Amino acid sequence: MLRRTALAAASLLAAGLLVLTACSGGGGSAAPTTPGEPDPDASVAIRLVLEPSNLDIRETAGSALDQILVDNIYQGLVARTPEQDVVPALARDWTVSPDGLTYTFTLREGVTFHDGQELTPQDVVWSLTTRRDTPAWRDASRLANVTSITAEGQDITLTLTEPDSSLLWNLTGRAGIVLKEGDTVDYKTKANGTGPFVLTQWRQGDSITLERNDAYWGEASGAAEVVFDYIPDNQAALNAALAGEVDVLTGFDANLKEQVEQNGDFALVLGKSTDKGTLAFNQTSGPLADKRVRQAIRQAIDHDAIIEALASGQTQYGPIPELDPGYEDLSDVAPYDPEAAKELLEDAGYEDDLELTLTIPNFYSTTIPQILVSDLDEVGITLEVDSVDFTTWLTDVYTNHDYDLSFVLHTEARDFENWADPDYYFTYDNAEVQDLYAQSLAATDESEAADLLEQAARIVSEDAAADWLYNGASVVAIGRNVVGMPTVNVNERLNAAEIAKSNG
Amino acid sequence: MIRYTLTRFALLLLGLLVASVLIFVTLRVLPGDIAHLIAGVGSTPEQQEAIRERLGLDRPLPEQYLTWIGGLFRGDLGTSLLTGTSVVDELAEKAEVTVPLGILSLTIAVVISVPLGVLSAMRRGRAAGTGLSVGAQTLAAVPVVWAGMMLVVVFAVWLGWLPAQGFPRSGWSDPWAALRSLLLPALTIGIVEGAMLLRFVRSATLQAVGQDFVRTAAAKGLTRDQALIRHGLPVVGLSVITVLGLQVAGIIVGAVVIEQLFSLPGIGRMLVADVAARDLPKVQGELLALTGFVLIVGFVVDLVHRVIDPRQREAP
Repeated sequence: MLRRTALAAASLLAAGLLVLTACSGGGGSAAPTTPGEPDPDASVAIRLVLEPSNLDIRETAGSALDQILVDNIYQGLVARTPEQDVVPALARDWTVSPDGLTYTFTLREGVTFHDGQELTPQDVVWSLTTRRDTPAWRDASRLANVTSITAEGQDITLTLTEPDSSLLWNLTGRAGIVLKEGDTVDYKTKANGTGPFVLTQWRQGDSITLERNDAYWGEASGAAEVVFDYIPDNQAALNAALAGEVDVLTGFDANLKEQVEQNGDFALVLGKSTDKGTLAFNQTSGPLADKRVRQAIRQAIDHDAIIEALASGQTQYGPIPELDPGYEDLSDVAPYDPEAAKELLEDAGYEDDLELTLTIPNFYSTTIPQILVSDLDEVGITLEVDSVDFTTWLTDVYTNHDYDLSFVLHTEARDFENWADPDYYFTYDNAEVQDLYAQSLAATDESEAADLLEQAARIVSEDAAADWLYNGASVVAIGRNVVGMPTVNVNERLNAAEIAKSNG
Repeated sequence: MIRYTLTRFALLLLGLLVASVLIFVTLRVLPGDIAHLIAGVGSTPEQQEAIRERLGLDRPLPEQYLTWIGGLFRGDLGTSLLTGTSVVDELAEKAEVTVPLGILSLTIAVVISVPLGVLSAMRRGRAAGTGLSVGAQTLAAVPVVWAGMMLVVVFAVWLGWLPAQGFPRSGWSDPWAALRSLLLPALTIGIVEGAMLLRFVRSATLQAVGQDFVRTAAAKGLTRDQALIRHGLPVVGLSVITVLGLQVAGIIVGAVVIEQLFSLPGIGRMLVADVAARDLPKVQGELLALTGFVLIVGFVVDLVHRVIDPRQREAP
């Protein structure tokens, strides 16, 4: 999934502003106050960057929707923790047969939908079957090799044609969401789930409000109300925080750390994330079909300088980030070395005359293109930056593969599949990688599956199939009176159930 | 007068028709596809085609245009492709923010510009007049975004008097809170537009000073200032009304920027989001409503002008 994180745009104007705010700070920040008792009636306002275009969890794509609806409103048999572990949700527990072909889940009793109707095993069977059989629903294909879904008492059994080491993980996402059978709710603007919150108001272009679900089967949420405020601009978000209008900022710019912390009401936290700043190479033809050119570009880029400029995140030299299974430090594959890059380019027959275009969605900040232009210039590559809006990007780059280089922040966890799919816009085609990935899926043992992914990831990196500019951090500014705010991978999932706020 | 009104009205309708065709055609030229946006990355061409068909985007363009215009006559601007809600309803909801913001901005602009503009003209050559003139010139050159940020820093972040962004979720049910949240954005637009208007009022006043009837009044024993205020200002007022009509367009453009900056859920912010999402029926409706508004204001200004100014009535 692609994710828009619009970083500060009007940097020039912001600079002037920052000078002023800096003057107002009066030096040291106030000592942080110890949080008082959590107030069960509190309303917590959380700034988010990207608003979903509608709320239809069945069809509409985009992690903006998963971020707020999955866990909070909709639930599946299983869920995942921010640390990416699979845990029970609507299923109390589950067993997997040794051959990896049968999954049996025991459904909790006493679960109700937000409209008051009780959740039945039949709802689960219907949801999963309909998801699998309706191609228009997101992630339908993730259940493709589930042959039967049946219920007996509270037990729900999934039978597979072949083992699938990613099934449980997939069930924690859209593919596993349990809806009411034949629900007539207007999914585009309303929601009816089983989660700890009820969706009470959506003011388009402004905010989405969730209220505590008093009939929730699990532990009641810490706050009575959570309001997601959509404020795309970082400067506006900072102002809102300083004026006390929001309690938490997500998707923030780590460069504004001092500004947000100056009055002592907020603390900036950098959590890990599976965001991968990916520089894709169209390697079907032209200069980038030559591995030496791709390798040269990788070695020409100063990855540490990028991390420094973003003031957050860490380097990542392969397709798998640290939070996902199969991670390995691959920094030895493409160390920063402009001299080596020049030699590679010379070998490939491009001396000082290579011109390439970078196609980049226009909601990203100019930081990355600026660094790329100057780094590549050092080794004799002229990079032209073509900033396009997202729909254009979808058509030109994603669908038609009409590009040289493209930058997108891929946020989805465990998305190695794209490197095993030659039709994906990465245009990377390697039979060995595809085979290793298939083996990893078919593995019945988790560590074996991870090991196979690790092998495949090294090949992808050694082939210079792309460059990974950075592994982003989840930058969150949290009010000192707020506890329980998740900080890991919040761009993709934001479980608000444990957030609580004190008035002290 | 009746004939003039009818002719002017026919022109208004023609303007709207031309605008509607232009809006429709230009939007079709934009690259990008909403079906793909809804289906998302990882979707198959078949899935996108199914969505396109469901939304009626596979039909010929003239047919789509006629459906749209046909609906317009019934007061129906169509439905959003993304949320399925009525465009008219959405516009009405967002107008609750944008219209008061516009009125407030215009009021502030007038309150600033008229007295100061006249004063600046009357004190021409003296320190106060020059100061005002230079100040207005400077303010008029200030980008709206920058002015907004400065106001936020002073009034929201430092002083904490006014909210930095957003609009109360309960809307106008708490009028004071709603008004407070519009004050900084309206000031931002009002000051910048007011500065531009001030320069106009100043030159209109200076022109009036040189007019024969003002000089005649002065010759009859009034002071220059008295003559100007009693006889010159009505003429200045007339031209100010015309410029105000033009100013409305500027205020709408200002609102698009300012709503973004202050996170106000108004028409401008909705428009920006809908263009990005290629929700064409909505963008069409929004643009037509805004264009229509500007055209209607122009129409009204022309009529008012004719009613007030006797000199125009004799003209054919």
